[in-house]
Amino acid sequence: MKSPIPIIDCHGHIGVHPDFPAYKATVEEMLQVMDLLNIERLAITSTLACYNDCPRGNEQVAKVLDQYPSRFLGYITVNPDPPGQAVKQLEKHSHFHTPPLIKVHPTCHRYPIDGPNYLPVWDYANQTRAIVLVHTWDSDPLCGPLLLGPIAQSFPNARILLGHAGVTWRGYEQALKVAQGHPNTVLDIAGSHSHRTIIEHCVNKIGAERILFGSDMPFLEAALSLGRVLTSQISSLEKELILRSNFLRLISA
Amino acid sequence: MQGYLEADLSEVSNWNIMDVNVRLGPSGIHGELALEKDALLVEMDRFGINTAVVSHFTAEEYDAREGNSALAGNRNVRLIPAWSALPDSSDVEALARRNPNVVKLCCASSKHNFSSASWCSGELLEYLQDKSILVLVSREDLQLGTPTGWDNLVALLSNFSRLPIVLLDLGYRSDRYLFPLLKRHTNLHFETSNYAAHRQLECYVEAFGSDRALFGSQLPLFTPGAALAVLISARISDEAKLAIAGGNLRRLLKVNPQ
Repeated sequence: MKSPIPIIDCHGHIGVHPDFPAYKATVEEMLQVMDLLNIERLAITSTLACYNDCPRGNEQVAKVLDQYPSRFLGYITVNPDPPGQAVKQLEKHSHFHTPPLIKVHPTCHRYPIDGPNYLPVWDYANQTRAIVLVHTWDSDPLCGPLLLGPIAQSFPNARILLGHAGVTWRGYEQALKVAQGHPNTVLDIAGSHSHRTIIEHCVNKIGAERILFGSDMPFLEAALSLGRVLTSQISSLEKELILRSNFLRLISA
Repeated sequence: MQGYLEADLSEVSNWNIMDVNVRLGPSGIHGELALEKDALLVEMDRFGINTAVVSHFTAEEYDAREGNSALAGNRNVRLIPAWSALPDSSDVEALARRNPNVVKLCCASSKHNFSSASWCSGELLEYLQDKSILVLVSREDLQLGTPTGWDNLVALLSNFSRLPIVLLDLGYRSDRYLFPLLKRHTNLHFETSNYAAHRQLECYVEAFGSDRALFGSQLPLFTPGAALAVLISARISDEAKLAIAGGNLRRLLKVNPQ
């Protein structure tokens, strides 16, 4: 299954992961799969940064952006600990993209998204109109979608991507509730839970303009998300918004 | 709804797809997604799924016998019943009267709450093995999120080495457990609905061939479009795709390809 239009993918990685084997996960092997599925550009964060070492992980992203500038977009991944490191990383890698793309992973970094050590990141995002991809999970005390509502309210210039949209059906409902109340939030559909009719449900609730295609490649199989979107019972125009136009519009503004 | 971004499923139209992981009937947990027979068949048609092995939500969430009765009341040539099985002698006798080809074990503590070990389920498992009945059991029911759960599976595979077992809902993080077991236990098979790490299906086929993977969708909870897209886009041979799409399950069930 190949997308008839080139996809702009908001959620990808480079690197491996600790708890299961990484298959065919070199950048060149990822490019082969991107060509196979017609993914024109993939926004990447380093899994090394998500799990362990942000400075070194962000350097890995910098190298990939240098090597393949037309195929990848780079998130700067930040950890709220140690305090002060995050903003230094954001400033150091500010050349990745304008406006900045920022990734935070409260689960891996074991720190709540509404904790005080994240405040400098949210201030920076608010000042720069950054796009912030937040890993979310249904009702999780560190990253439950509902935690993002007050943050979106307090930092209205930051554009918040609810990563995985909360994952479970209930998590999606929480993400939709946040999106309905806060126009600076959008849903990223990357995830392994392929709920039947969830794409249609989200489009009905918040409109296709607030939904982004994410694959989580090379963590998850990108064809999984592609199949969900292409076989959903929404219009082709709505699919095009999700697969391509929405993220392009977001990162260009 | 047709359009320029409609999924092209023409490739699968002659695959004779047989889905090993489908549920039917009302659900107290997933009420918004549950489907009765006619609606389920419509959804199968939309994705080119010819036949499905189907269990009943009432059996899983409430009572095995009542669920089996509901399943019996929903007979259809395209739906192969996966009867719910319990370990007590009287339940084994009731199951045998249904002359099953497939059973599903719902042994999790939140479901029928029994052990798959011989001391608890020995009589049932002996019967199933003697009759070469295909056994479906999910990741949740075996508690495969824990190392103890995998040890329980090893005991099951070892003690009943002629019993064909299909793991349902196997997570994409499973290969460090799954691969050693596939090498050691030829009676082990798995379903693909959530076997969805990056290029994971390709790598399984490269390592083991295609004989042990069975296409499953988790209908009505998951859309078949996801698992189908993974299979369609896998860089494996057409023969391997056909085997996974339904050939392997037909072989296990000794069903005529037509």
